[in-house]
Amino acid sequence: MSESTFMGVQRDKIDWKPTIDYSKCDYCMECVKFCPHKVFEVNEEEEIKLIVKNPNNCVVFCRACSKTCGPNAITFPDKNTTTQMIKAIRKEENND
Amino acid sequence: MIDNCAILPCNGLDKCAGAVSREVAVKLCENNANEIICPVFYRVAEAKYNKIVGEHPLIVIDGCQTRCASKLAAEKNLRVFKKITITEEAKNHNIVLSGGLTPGESDKVLVDLILKGLVNEPENSGLISDVQDISCNFDYNTFQNGKFIFRIPRGAQIYFNENDCWAYVIGNRARIGVTDFVQQNLSDILYFTPPEIGAEIDQFGEAGEIESSKSVFEIVSPVTGKVTAVNSMLEQKPELINENPYETGWVAEIELTDFENDKELLIGFDKYFELVKRKVEELNG
Ligand code: SF4
Ligand code: SF4
Repeated sequence: MSESTFMGVQRDKIDWKPTIDYSKCDYCMECVKFCPHKVFEVNEEEEIKLIVKNPNNCVVFCRACSKTCGPNAITFPDKNTTTQMIKAIRKEENND
Repeated sequence: MIDNCAILPCNGLDKCAGAVSREVAVKLCENNANEIICPVFYRVAEAKYNKIVGEHPLIVIDGCQTRCASKLAAEKNLRVFKKITITEEAKNHNIVLSGGLTPGESDKVLVDLILKGLVNEPENSGLISDVQDISCNFDYNTFQNGKFIFRIPRGAQIYFNENDCWAYVIGNRARIGVTDFVQQNLSDILYFTPPEIGAEIDQFGEAGEIESSKSVFEIVSPVTGKVTAVNSMLEQKPELINENPYETGWVAEIELTDFENDKELLIGFDKYFELVKRKVEELNG
């Protein structure tokens, strides 16, 4: 699966996922409709109706859903930190 | 200069940014030969506006990032000439919207600033620059899935990131763009937002956006550097990206500042070709 690695690094070792600020989110669900990778999960019954269920499905360095979010409730990790982390892991693995 | 255009504002009646968007549209029509398309009426009686949108460049004014007006334009398959987002403009001009449903003092200041910006805008703003004569005649390998054909260019100077963007590197410069995978997934591309000329972009930073009625794709820069040129043809003809995203549909040129480092997280033709085949297979089950 191409989804399970990014640049040869196991996906679950890379911190890249949307984070929802629930004080801003108005549950319009545009992000859910937008993302084809089943990252989000909707549960109308719960008080928090939307969660980031599968963070590792999120495409590393994609930020697209945040553009659909009217109230600007979605944030991502700092891309340079993530880049450095990927490089570090690759080095480590090559040295093994 | 905005004249003889069709103006499609969001007109959100329950939001301040909507009220400002309406105000900008009205002012644009008071002073010039522009025509407003009412988004509400357009939905129910399209015929009234077909002639206007068919014959004039279209300016879309969104109130907020929900982008209702843009979405309406995409739904109707309209090519957008220019886009304005009120909340973005407010941010850029350091203005806090009043929050009221009739434009307050700060809102009026913003409306004036936006109008001034539009009137003073030179033709082809910022899109002319020192485009190098980079000839891109690539050799391709292709594969087919259903009715879709994917072409991937090969060559030692062509690099890819796993976000489906390519870089063609010549000396300390690179031309960048998206691959057939992006173009086929989006289908007809209706709008291109270029990166700013002069902007410093990090590897994996945003280098513009392309949009179809299906989706928006943020171009994830394969390289770090300064934007020295943008493909100005795409402003009028974003469909060039569908026709050939590697040659006529290139996106921007970057003066490289850290390519040795960038290279670590790029792949060449062999790896990308395999990757894209897998992605296509996964998508189609
Ligand atoms: S798009 Fe933004 S506001 Fe809407 S549900 Fe998603 S996070 Fe919440
Ligand atoms: S960033 Fe992209 S892949 Fe990740 S959740 Fe948002 S749309 Fe989906």
